[in-house]
Amino acid sequence: MKIAISGKGGSGKTTISATLTRILARRGLPVLAIDGDPNPNLIQALGLGPGVEAEAVPRSVVERREDEAGQARHVLTTTIEDIVSQYGLKAPDGVTVLVGTRVDHAGAG
Amino acid sequence: MRSIVGEIVSNSKEVTVMDMEASIEHMSRGTVRYVDALLVVLEPYYRSMETAGRTVPLARALGIQHIYGIANKLRSPEDGEAVAAYCRNHDLELIAKIPFDDSVVEADRTGRAVIDYDVTAPIVEELSRVADFLLREIKINGNGAGGN
Repeated sequence: MKIAISGKGGSGKTTISATLTRILARRGLPVLAIDGDPNPNLIQALGLGPGVEAEAVPRSVVERREDEAGQARHVLTTTIEDIVSQYGLKAPDGVTVLVGTRVDHAGAG
Repeated sequence: MRSIVGEIVSNSKEVTVMDMEASIEHMSRGTVRYVDALLVVLEPYYRSMETAGRTVPLARALGIQHIYGIANKLRSPEDGEAVAAYCRNHDLELIAKIPFDDSVVEADRTGRAVIDYDVTAPIVEELSRVADFLLREIKINGNGAGGN
């Protein structure tokens, strides 16, 4: 089950993403939370506390390739397990969180 | 960066929750291709609802099968009705009405998750119902909507 949450900035989508993640984890499900927002604060909303930062997953984990039709597509250059173990942070209730974008210190909060 | 998130989502074998970019213009096929459900958060004011209203047809065009509205920060029954009316007019199924919740503000102030601050907070109770709903509607081990 893969869920994406969208909304205008300030709509509360990060709080909703984090809370839904924790609720699903408390049901005993393994949950991977991904911060796809360029101004990330999902880590804090999940309860990891102020000052905790994740290393963003770098561009080098995907590679652009063209298929026979000349259509560009992206493929992972490593396994999802490696990405999760290298860049994932453990959050409460067994949640794993990945930050997919650079941390923007200037605009944080 | 968007393609990285998309590839991670598509390869993930766990239940995956993605907090997306605010701007829907960035919602690309690559990012959402393997998403089973898109939850669109609406606040009860015009610009927020308009943003959501633009998101829905775009998400449909990208092939996302389940698209649901979540009303947030409702301060009155009239707020709830305004969002409900907007969703009806835009063919968006509204699955949650979350009241404005001081617990969110207090949790943020103290640097905690709202579920740790108060597990009985209205937002936690309403999202528990959302979790029940999603677990009924969507297979846990599904392979996503597919890329079309």
